[in-house]
Amino acid sequence: MTSSKKLSLLLTFVVLLCGARAADEVPLKLDLPKPLFVGTPRPVQLSNLEKPRTGRRPEIMVQAGTVNLSKGKTVTSSDSLPVVGELSYVTDGEKSGADGTYVELGPGVQWVQIDLGAPAKLAAIVAWHFHSQARVYHDVIVQISDDSEFKKGVTTLFNNDDNNSAALGTGKDPAYIETFEGRLIEAKGATARYVRLYSNGNTSDELNHYVEVEVYGQPAK
Amino acid sequence: MSSTLLYRLSFAIIIIAAFWIRIADLDRRPMHADEANQAVKTGELIESGHYAFDPRDHHGPTLYYAALPIAWLRGERNLATLTETTVRLVPAVAGTLSVFLLAALLGKSPVSCRAGPCGHAVSARRSGVATRASPTGPTPWFRFRWNAPSGRISEIPAVSTNPGGVKTPSRERNHWVALLAAAFLAVSPPAVYYSRYFIQETLLVTFTLGAFVCVRFWWRSGSLAWALGAGVALGLMQATKASAPLFVGAAIIAAIITQVPSPVAVRPRLHAALAVIAAFAVAALLYSSFGRNPAGIRDAFFVYGPALHRANEGAGHEKPWWYYLQLFGWQRNGGLVWQQLLFSALALIGTVAVFFQSNKFPRWVATYTLLVGATLSLTHYKTPWHALHFVPGMAILGAYAISAAPRTWLGTFVAVVTLATQFAQTRLVAFTRPADQRNPYAYVHSAPDVLKFRPLVETILASSPDGIVRVIGNEYWPLPWYLRGLPHVGYWSTPPDDCDAALVIATGEQSTAVREKLRGNYNESYLGLRPGVMAVIFTRRP
Repeated sequence: MTSSKKLSLLLTFVVLLCGARAADEVPLKLDLPKPLFVGTPRPVQLSNLEKPRTGRRPEIMVQAGTVNLSKGKTVTSSDSLPVVGELSYVTDGEKSGADGTYVELGPGVQWVQIDLGAPAKLAAIVAWHFHSQARVYHDVIVQISDDSEFKKGVTTLFNNDDNNSAALGTGKDPAYIETFEGRLIEAKGATARYVRLYSNGNTSDELNHYVEVEVYGQPAK
Repeated sequence: MSSTLLYRLSFAIIIIAAFWIRIADLDRRPMHADEANQAVKTGELIESGHYAFDPRDHHGPTLYYAALPIAWLRGERNLATLTETTVRLVPAVAGTLSVFLLAALLGKSPVSCRAGPCGHAVSARRSGVATRASPTGPTPWFRFRWNAPSGRISEIPAVSTNPGGVKTPSRERNHWVALLAAAFLAVSPPAVYYSRYFIQETLLVTFTLGAFVCVRFWWRSGSLAWALGAGVALGLMQATKASAPLFVGAAIIAAIITQVPSPVAVRPRLHAALAVIAAFAVAALLYSSFGRNPAGIRDAFFVYGPALHRANEGAGHEKPWWYYLQLFGWQRNGGLVWQQLLFSALALIGTVAVFFQSNKFPRWVATYTLLVGATLSLTHYKTPWHALHFVPGMAILGAYAISAAPRTWLGTFVAVVTLATQFAQTRLVAFTRPADQRNPYAYVHSAPDVLKFRPLVETILASSPDGIVRVIGNEYWPLPWYLRGLPHVGYWSTPPDDCDAALVIATGEQSTAVREKLRGNYNESYLGLRPGVMAVIFTRRP
């Protein structure tokens, strides 16, 4: 018997064996635990429930002369008539997070946009959505551009939309829990006039909130 | 158009409107953890026919059994096919019935009607006592008027005399007050909200009103049928929630305080005893799962130890004594205003007014409502659905206050404005912001994110049909409802040793422990369960 015939016989035997085993196989019956029935959940009264890390946030180094460029600047939004708060709250410098300090945009994907007045070299953007309760905002995307329509020259600085539910592309940045520190997003010297921040509801409700957004950079000369 | 026809037409419109407000978009709001918990129990009852009363953290069985005929009618034969709309139709129907019963409570007994406008003629003659205008009967209790110049409330002769010489009420006026009270209940924000919410409270209020209607009609007619009807309603109350004796006790104490006259029944004690037997029989039938679980009757008594402890300690639901006052007052929360000021002001005026006239029934209503309010306010354990028990009394007292307006146009104006503001609040509470954490009735409510869990799990199971999904933690409700019928989904309080799975959903407090036990590579993301409570989603990388 040639070696090729031997190999063919062996393969045939293996295939038959596999077939026999497949015929013996049955679906795996899993006995998984059923849900336990419990009483009315208690209200949670925790602020900043989860610290993303211990200690202070590491400082980032920026050029001397870097200032908050967004303070008092014009804010526009996909929801031009917020039910709660005003768009000007986004850049009014008040970031305590208490009632009356945040603007509430409608459900679904919404954005706010800050016009810095002129293109500027940006160092970092810090965003506070809502920090009087532990929550995560979905599909946080931060983009900059010189085009107010964000149709050209768009640079994405942050994107944690891992399933493209906001239809702006999939992002790899992590979801994060809102805290009093806000979310610091490095701009790494990119130049732009407009900053746009997206979100798509949060873990507590389907609405979108902004307490404050600060855009740090070098003033235009 | 005759006034009777107009009354009937108006009443029909109120009932239809009440029903419509209660059933529109019933599946719009995500399921609260309590609703989900009870809906899963209902689904198991539909599927297996088995139900056993569980005295730990659970109320009586009426809610589950009441869902059965609706599920059958809608062709839902198991947990997987059961829908939010089906289970929420139970309180919606009960809430509509409560509107009808409130009007009936202010109306006249169908039995006594045979004798004419005042039903005492028959029963009084039958009992051999002299005919009289009973203060608890249909005697007009709207027979006073605000005396503007003197600033005092004075009685006015609003009674008329029927051909038999018996004093009768101003029936027409009584009808409109009944309509107004029914309308107030129909559009009340808490009443509408919890009529769209698969929990026991609306059923309890409805059975309580049913018991009151039967007792009142029995009181006036002496008919054993009404006594037995009251017994059945009391049994249903008890089989709905263990707190039923609180409302029965408040009703009895209110009757003693207001010194209501004796019932006209010939043998009232016998009737009362038969009513109690009927109540016990109905409650026992339900608690024993129609005889299949006799231990349920025993367990129904064991509820009271833990319940009293919880009422005293609060068990995480403690609130200040003025919590319910705030619900009926004004509050601004997160930029949104929630208020029932006008309705509450009318109820307050009505409460004060009834103590300036001689009629016992409205005094009883006011006393009962105050007793229930005081008891619930002094109990540490408070939840917003308990506020529902104040609404019928407040609606009656509010209608009473309006009926006392010195001018018809003024009363009509106040009624219309009050109904409009109440409806606006109901729209905000039940339709615009039904699950918003600022909504005072959306108590510890599930976040809209819970609707994302099922598509997520279905996607995972589609890509790995043999994979399993682990839900780990103590705060995972309402997920068992949303994941109903899906294969390979299990629930753990703490992470098992072999924690890996195609998808692991860990509620906040267990997420760290789960993360430490996972051996594979996972992507992490977050979905919300309730305000401040999140689940960490571990999705195994391919």
